[in-house]
Amino acid sequence: MLELVDLVKHYRVGDGEPVRAVDGVSLTVGPGELVVLYGPSGSGKTTLLMLIAALLRPDRGSVRVAGREITALSKRDAARYRRQELGFVRQSLDLIPGVRTGDNAALKLFGAHGPREARRLVTPLLERLGLGERLGHRAEQLSMGERQRVMIARALSTGPSLVLADEPTGSLDTQRGREVLELLREVCREQRVATLLVTHDPRAAAYADRVHALCDGHLTEHEPGREFVPVPSAEAGACEPGSAS
Amino acid sequence: MKPSNIAGFYVARLRARVVQELFAVAGIAVGVALLFASQVANTSLSGSVDQFTRAVVGRATLQLRARDPQGFPASMVGAVQRLPGVLRVAPVLEANAYLVGATGRQVVDLVGVDPSLGSLGGALARHVTSTQLAGRSALALSASVSRRIGTGWRRPVEVDVNGHSTEVAVGSVMGKAEIGGLVDSPFAIVPLRFEQRLVGDRESITRILVQPRPGREGRVRAELARLAAGRLNVLPATSDATIFHQAEGPASESTGLFSAVSALVGFLFAFNAMLLTVPQRRRLVSDLRLDGYTPAEIAIVLLCDALMLGVAGAIAGLLLGDWVSRHLLEASPGYLSLAFPVGSQRIVTWQCVVIAASGGLLAACVGVLNPLRAIFAGSLPPARERSSQSRLGILWVTVGGLVCLGVSTVILLAGVQTVQLAVLASVSLLAAMLLLLPALLGAIVFVVDRGQREVLDASRRLALIELQSSTVRVRSAAIAATGAVAVFGSVAIEGARHNLAAGLNRAAAEMALVTDLWITSAGTGSTLATAPFQANFDRMLSHLRGVRAVRVYRGSFLDIGDRRALVMAPPRTAIQPIPPHQIVQGNLVHASALLQGHGWATVSQALAGELHLHVGKRFMLPTSRPATFRLAAVTTNFGWSPGVIVVNADDYARAWGSSDPSAYQLELDPGVPPVAAQAEIRRALGPRSGLSVQTAAQRESIDRATQEQGLDRLRQIALLVLIAAVLAMATAMGAMIWQRRARLASMKVDGYDERELWRALLYESALLLGAGCSIGALFGLYGQLLLSRTLATVTGFPVVFSVAGASALTDVVLVAGVAFAIVAIPGYLAARAQPRLQCG
Repeated sequence: MLELVDLVKHYRVGDGEPVRAVDGVSLTVGPGELVVLYGPSGSGKTTLLMLIAALLRPDRGSVRVAGREITALSKRDAARYRRQELGFVRQSLDLIPGVRTGDNAALKLFGAHGPREARRLVTPLLERLGLGERLGHRAEQLSMGERQRVMIARALSTGPSLVLADEPTGSLDTQRGREVLELLREVCREQRVATLLVTHDPRAAAYADRVHALCDGHLTEHEPGREFVPVPSAEAGACEPGSAS
Repeated sequence: MKPSNIAGFYVARLRARVVQELFAVAGIAVGVALLFASQVANTSLSGSVDQFTRAVVGRATLQLRARDPQGFPASMVGAVQRLPGVLRVAPVLEANAYLVGATGRQVVDLVGVDPSLGSLGGALARHVTSTQLAGRSALALSASVSRRIGTGWRRPVEVDVNGHSTEVAVGSVMGKAEIGGLVDSPFAIVPLRFEQRLVGDRESITRILVQPRPGREGRVRAELARLAAGRLNVLPATSDATIFHQAEGPASESTGLFSAVSALVGFLFAFNAMLLTVPQRRRLVSDLRLDGYTPAEIAIVLLCDALMLGVAGAIAGLLLGDWVSRHLLEASPGYLSLAFPVGSQRIVTWQCVVIAASGGLLAACVGVLNPLRAIFAGSLPPARERSSQSRLGILWVTVGGLVCLGVSTVILLAGVQTVQLAVLASVSLLAAMLLLLPALLGAIVFVVDRGQREVLDASRRLALIELQSSTVRVRSAAIAATGAVAVFGSVAIEGARHNLAAGLNRAAAEMALVTDLWITSAGTGSTLATAPFQANFDRMLSHLRGVRAVRVYRGSFLDIGDRRALVMAPPRTAIQPIPPHQIVQGNLVHASALLQGHGWATVSQALAGELHLHVGKRFMLPTSRPATFRLAAVTTNFGWSPGVIVVNADDYARAWGSSDPSAYQLELDPGVPPVAAQAEIRRALGPRSGLSVQTAAQRESIDRATQEQGLDRLRQIALLVLIAAVLAMATAMGAMIWQRRARLASMKVDGYDERELWRALLYESALLLGAGCSIGALFGLYGQLLLSRTLATVTGFPVVFSVAGASALTDVVLVAGVAFAIVAIPGYLAARAQPRLQCG
């Protein structure tokens, strides 16, 4: 479903050495598969997600989603791709303040459906995510975990073939974080959605089909099923993941 | 907390939000500037008359004043001087004169004085002493008059007065150094004896200024009254200023109302600006509370913010307002200059400064203390509770708005009987609009939302979602209120001005078009035909080719209490002595027939009210030979706000003791072109006649121009208010959009492209700006009705009732359109913001 081939993106900051944000990354995520990607700050995770979301163009390499090359899409086609084929769950909780849960979750459906129809379409999803009694609440009336679930509903509302999740448990307590990860895995498996989850949360590995680490723009594979202890910074020699019992 | 700590804390925080604070200062400054400039324009007119009056009268506190332009014998000066308790006296002869120079012409108050005036110590007399002009046939002019008509020291100037034209040398030109602000007043000073020669009456004066000995004023007043014997007025020396204040009342009140609207627009501008900084201040309040500061200490910190912003905004606003009042807001004297020496000087009183600056400080305090509840609340209510409180608040606000609307409607239906009721109704209507605005705005968005249910346009949906968002409701309402208040003011006052102008134009036409040609003295006397001239041309004129009939018209001003009424005395044989549309009480045909008889008069509404008159009642007019009249009808004031009296020309001659005409009305033979007859008559009168010959159409057009000049100020202020509103809405809307950049960028991650986001912002802006302005226009039309009714019933102006729907629509399109065009730019830039993800 998602296929990255030898993806390269370098930046030049001022007159200094180029930053190798993504340096020859190749990765495949199949339908219904959940891949967790760990990496310390500055390891290139943001750049990789932006390349997959067609918000950045790579210097080299290929990004294929459902067999379609997306690196050469026009701005308009890239937007359409993000709205229809991609679901993006962010840490930043970009809900519109003062707006009800139904409308916030249905944000991606408005171009194709009227407001009532859009709300009708997301309602089962919100109920599935445990927000059936929160449909009429405004964003600021929801807890952090509920807001995160609205973002998941928004991401899944268009029936995407690929979901990118950026630190979905970053602002949640242990219990809520576990619930969100479980939900994400269940829904992705049910709907056969390829999911790439970028996180610092070591428990995420337990829900993953595969685990990768990204360091200095390079991708390394990790044994799945084991809890992962990520190294918090990208200082020299600190990129190798450790393991915990 | 020590004051130095508070100031240091403010400076430290300022660095982090300097742009928002500058925007807030700009908002306050615009409000202060609008308030200041409109007040200065308002006070300058009355201030200039006051200044001139005091400069003439000096230490004199009483005056004996003629009741007609012909004046009274100068021999009375000796009698007044001999009265017990009189310290000093000074005779004055005043007349309206028309000065013609090399490059222009100007109407001036021609003041004839003798050396005794200098002893009263008035500013004017100090500089125009007899040494400059004594014994000379010369005049002294202010530098501005000299410049305007193109003359100078020792150069000749033509003086047209009382139908005589004389060439006079300029003996003195007084600049700002000599006479200060009076340099902009329209006057000329001549020796008394010389002016008596100019007006063709060697014995007359129009007033005697009297300075009583200390403590003897009451006695002197009584003695003067005895001497006046009911044929002259005994008045305070500065009565002209009081009378002008009364005459200027309606214009002043309408400008005052506009000042209030300006202030409100300015306040909303400032409030919009302050709302930008509310989130930071809320966080500050929260942080300070967590750090253990008491509510009082937090309030002091915020008040310090208000003081800094308010002072900076007030200073900037006063400077801006000063510039606006100098360059954009003219204090047009208009028709009042026909009876008063109104100058063009700009007078800034301390009250103007204090009121404008206080307004700025108040706006800053209200804006800064917006999170007041957060300061003093024991604990913040949960979000859900806040939401229900907000709904309850809107309900109460709406009920309050409906009550205010009810108050205005009751006053309107009751007929708006007094100025106080009119002000109450206008303020209540404005309050109703502001209180009902949130509900109306919500209703408009709801209706649009309903209408767009089936439209598959993501941009429109995004815009509607934003407008329905509870978190931006206050900001949206503030932006819409700014447009609403500005459009309300513009539509209501411009509409009332339009109705008044239409009424004045009709009155001007009805007064001018009663004959084919008018002959009057040149200058101001020609406009209202109030300057009698000594001439006896009727026989000569009636023998001219093409002239069918010559009729004598008489008129002048008459002071009744604090009112300088206009007296019109059409020929007894006039077919239409009363302009047809000006009757308020009585029957036109019957009243016209009565006026052709003997001893009947019509008076305008306000005058009738003040004298407690009704149709048929007898009353005495305080003329130079007091006469009794009966009231034939009550009329409008024909556009002369102090009031109008119409009698026939024969009754006028009896009551005023003068048979001098102030105009000839000429009827031409059928088929004779008025312009050709005009040229023929000018030739017959000769080049030095000092009389003006006008066709009825020319006279009507001059009347219209004079009337409209007086209404120009309202138009200028309306324009300024609209400009300020456009700026306020555009900047507030732009800032609101700019603050949303991060969220707009995040929507790109959800698949929205730049064009969709920009369209959403444009749609949202158009809806908000359009809705606000439309609500303002709707209430403005109601306000127009209210103000027009006030002008008609309270001041008796000739108003033509109409609803300026097209003008209201133009204002809505103009204000919303320009603001929309400005907002499009930050909207476009905000829509281009790139998303930033949070991970590493």
